[in-house]
Amino acid sequence: MSTVATPLSHAGASEHPCAAAGATPLERARVGLDSCVHCGFCLQACPTYLSLEDENDSPRGRLVLMRAVVDGRVALDDPDVATHLSRCLGCRGCESACPSGVPYGHLLEAARETLAAKKPLPLLARAILWVFARPGVLRVALWFGRMARDTGIAGELARLPGALGFPFAMLASTARAAAPDWTPRAARTRATVATLDGCVMEGLFTGVNRATERVLAANGYSLCAAPGQQCCGALHIHAGDAATARELARANIAAFEASGATFVATNSAGCGAMMKEYGQLLASEPAWRDRARAFSTKVRDASELLAEAGPVIGAPLPRRITYDAPCHLEHAQKLSAPPLQVLAAIPSLEHVPLDDREQCCGSAGIFNLIEPDVSERVLAAKMRCISATNAPVVATGNPGCLMQIGAGLWREGRGAVARHPIELLDESYAKREG
Amino acid sequence: MLERPAELLVYESDGLPGYHRTPSLAVFPASADEALAVVRELAAHGVPFVPRGAGTGLSGGALADGAVLLGLQRLKRIIDIDPVRRVARVEPGVVNATLTKAATKHALHYAPDPSSQTACTLGGNLAENAGGPHCLKYGVTLNHVVAAKVALPDGTVVELDADDGGYDLLGAFVGSEGCFGVALELTVKLTPNPERVVTLLADFTSIDDAAQTVSAIIATGILPAALEMMDQATVGAVEASIYAAGYPTDAAAVLLVEVDGAAAGLDEDVQAVDGICRTHGARDVRIATEPAARAKLWQGRKKAFGAMGRIAPHLVVQDAVVPRTKLPSLLARIAEIGAVNNVRVCNVFHAGDGNLHPNIPYDASDRAESERVHAAMKQIMQACIDAGGTITGEHGVGLDKLAYMDALFTADTLDGMCRLRDVFDPARRANPGKVVPVRYCRERRPNRQMVDGGGQMVEGDGGAGAGLREAATVVDRGGRA
Repeated sequence: MSTVATPLSHAGASEHPCAAAGATPLERARVGLDSCVHCGFCLQACPTYLSLEDENDSPRGRLVLMRAVVDGRVALDDPDVATHLSRCLGCRGCESACPSGVPYGHLLEAARETLAAKKPLPLLARAILWVFARPGVLRVALWFGRMARDTGIAGELARLPGALGFPFAMLASTARAAAPDWTPRAARTRATVATLDGCVMEGLFTGVNRATERVLAANGYSLCAAPGQQCCGALHIHAGDAATARELARANIAAFEASGATFVATNSAGCGAMMKEYGQLLASEPAWRDRARAFSTKVRDASELLAEAGPVIGAPLPRRITYDAPCHLEHAQKLSAPPLQVLAAIPSLEHVPLDDREQCCGSAGIFNLIEPDVSERVLAAKMRCISATNAPVVATGNPGCLMQIGAGLWREGRGAVARHPIELLDESYAKREG
Repeated sequence: MLERPAELLVYESDGLPGYHRTPSLAVFPASADEALAVVRELAAHGVPFVPRGAGTGLSGGALADGAVLLGLQRLKRIIDIDPVRRVARVEPGVVNATLTKAATKHALHYAPDPSSQTACTLGGNLAENAGGPHCLKYGVTLNHVVAAKVALPDGTVVELDADDGGYDLLGAFVGSEGCFGVALELTVKLTPNPERVVTLLADFTSIDDAAQTVSAIIATGILPAALEMMDQATVGAVEASIYAAGYPTDAAAVLLVEVDGAAAGLDEDVQAVDGICRTHGARDVRIATEPAARAKLWQGRKKAFGAMGRIAPHLVVQDAVVPRTKLPSLLARIAEIGAVNNVRVCNVFHAGDGNLHPNIPYDASDRAESERVHAAMKQIMQACIDAGGTITGEHGVGLDKLAYMDALFTADTLDGMCRLRDVFDPARRANPGKVVPVRYCRERRPNRQMVDGGGQMVEGDGGAGAGLREAATVVDRGGRA
C-alpha cells in the first residue's frame, strides 16, 4: 500500500489522471468524492443543514448522493438528487471544517454540470445566466434596476410579501447618498492594478467601485483600464453552465492581459474566488491553460492589496459596526484578516464581533432567487445574529451579501444598512481630506 | 419523515465508514413531545427503532438494519443554564461544543470533549459514554450527567437522577448505546474554566521513549488535563490538512500534554513535565500559553481522524484500552502486527488513559488489502485483551465490536448484560442487534423478582421493565400505567 500521504488538491476534481474520455464531470471527480470519510465535522458548518435539519441538505449527505450517482445506486435524474444539490448554497463553509480536504466546491460544480447536461436548469436561472453572459443586455437590465430603485418603485414593490417583494428589497437596499467628493493625493506607486468592474458592482454599486479606485490610489496603486472585460462567470459555473463560464474566462484573461497591470483587483468576493480559479477552469484547454494560470496568480481581492499596503489610516468615524465574512472571501479564498485590516484603518470605528460571522447569509449568487424559501431561512439565522450586535452598519465585501443582508435590514426597518468595508474606508479618507 | 431510497442513503452510516445498514424509514421529531409520540407509536406497533444523534459515532452504533431510524438532531434546545448550580438542562440534539459556547459567558464549559465535539450531540455522548482528551483529569460523560428524562422503549417516561438513592439506574443508562431507551432531556454539569492552561508539545525520535514518558509523568503525581500521543503517520496526515498545527513531521511520535488549574504552582508542574520529557529522550519541548497557539496545537489532534481521509479512501478506526504501563510493549506489538499484515497503522490516542486508537487507512475496493486490514485489527484487539485491556474506551461496542465481546466476557456475563437490558427494554426493540451478540440473550419468562421503591415485591406484568417503572420516578406513563 502507498506509504506517502498525498494531500488532495483541488486539482483532484478536474485533473484526475484516470479521467476517462466521455465520462461525466462527476465521474472524473471520483478522487475528490473518495476523500470524504463520513466523519460529519461539516454538519455544523453547513447553513442549509442548520436550517433544514436533514443530512440530505448537508455536505456529507450531498456527497453521499453524488457518490451514489457515480456508483449507479441512484439515477442521475432521481428528483431527490436534484432537490438536495439545488439547495446547496455553494458557500464552501464545509471546506473550512473538513479535515480530509474534500474539494467540495468543485465537486458541487461537477455535479451540477453533470445534472445540467441531463436536465435543463429552471427557466428563471437560465434567463438570469443568459442576461449575465451578454454585456449589452445586462447593461439595459441594470439600467432598469437603477431606475426602479432611484424612482422609489423598488421600495414600494419591496412591501410585497415574502419572496415576491424580496428582490425589490435587495434592489432598494443598494441606494446610496451622494458619494463623498475627494481626490486621492499622489502616492508613491506600489504597483499597477486593473480592476474588474463586476456586473452587479458596476450596475448597482457604482459608487463603491469609484470608492475602491480612490482608496486603492490613495494606497499607492496606479490604475489601468481593461476594456473588453465581462462577467466573471461565477454565476454560470455555480449553476452548472461550465461552457459559458469558460467562454467568459477566456474573454477576461485576454482583456486583463492587454491592460498590462501587475494585479487584477476586485471588490467582489465571489468574482475574486472565481477568477482565482480560472487556472483550473481552463486546465484542459492547452491553448489557455498557462495563460489562465498566470492570470489567476495576479488576482487579488481589493482588501488584500490594501492590507499589503498598510493601509493608510483615515480620519476617525465614531460608529458602531459589525462585520459579516462573505463566504467566497472566508472559505473559498481563505481571506479572514484583510477585510478586518481595512476596517482597522478607520480610527474610532467600534467593531462589535458578529456571532457565526463565517456562516453564509443565504445570498449565494442567484440562489436567493431560485431557492427563496431555503435562502430566507438561512438569512433569518443571520439576521438574529446581526440584531444581537445592535450595530447600525453591517460591513461585508460582496455584492450578493450586501444585497441579501441589505434586504434583510431594509425589511427589518430599524434603519440599519449594509456597507462594503471599502465604502467606510473611503468615507474616512474623504473626511481626512475634507 | 424520509422513506425514499435516495434520501435514506446518508443515514445508512455513522462516522465509521465501511458499514451500511438501510433503515426502513427515518423520522425526525421537532420536539421532545413529538419524539415521545413517535416512541409510543412504535411501541404500539411493536416496531424496532434506532436512536441517532449527529451520526458521528465510530462503532456503527446508530445503524438501523430495517428498523426505524429515530433522528434526534432537531431537538437542539438548551433549556436553561444555571451558573450557580453549574448545571445545564439540554435536549439530546444539542451539539457538545454548542453547550460550551453557550456556557462561556459564565466562565464555564462542558468538560467531556470528544474529538467530534464540534458535531456530535450530547444525547449521543450519553448513549456512548463519550470520552475525549480532557477526560483524563475531568472524567467521562458518566461523571458529568446528573439527571436524564428518558422515554423507555415502551413509551413510559422516567426521570433518572444521580442523586436518587439505591442502585444507580442513571449510571446503567449512560453508555447503554441506545438499547435502553431515548433520552428526551439531560441535565449535565458545567465545569469552571481553569485559571490558567499550558499546553506542551514534546517530540520523540522513538515511539518507545514517548510511551515510557507517559507513565513517568503520571508517576510523579501530576495529573495533566490531557496527555495525548500521535505517531509519525498521523502527524503526516494532519500536517497535510488545513488543520496543520506545526507538528514535527520527522518525529517518530509526539506527546501533547496539557496542564491546567490555579495559576499558583502551575509553572512548577510545567517545568516538571518538561524535564520528564527531556530526560526520557524528547528532542524538543514546545510550550504554548496563549489561547491561539494552544488552540492550534489542539486542532491538529482533534481533526486527526478526519485528516486520514487524505491517505486512503477508507478507514478503520479502533478504540481499545490497556493498562498505561503496558503501552510501550503494546505499541511495539501493534507495529509488528502492522508489518506482518502489510498495513499502515496510524496511532493517535489518549495515552494518559491507556486508551488506544489504532486506525488503518485503506482502499475497500482492494479485496486483499481489506482482508489484511481486518486480520490486523483482530490481532490488535486480541493483543489489547491479552494485555489485560478492554475493547472500547469511548466509542462503544455498537456493531463493530460485537465480534470481540466473546473474547472479553464469559457467556454468563453476557447473559447478565441481556438481563439488565431487559429491565429497560424487555421487548428488545431499541437498537436491536447491538452491543451483546444476540445468541447470549436467552429467552426468559416474565418473573416476580422486581422490587418497587418501597421494597414491596410487585407482580411482573409485561416483562422486567415493569419493575423499573415502579422503582424509578415515573413522570408519565402515557396512559398505560
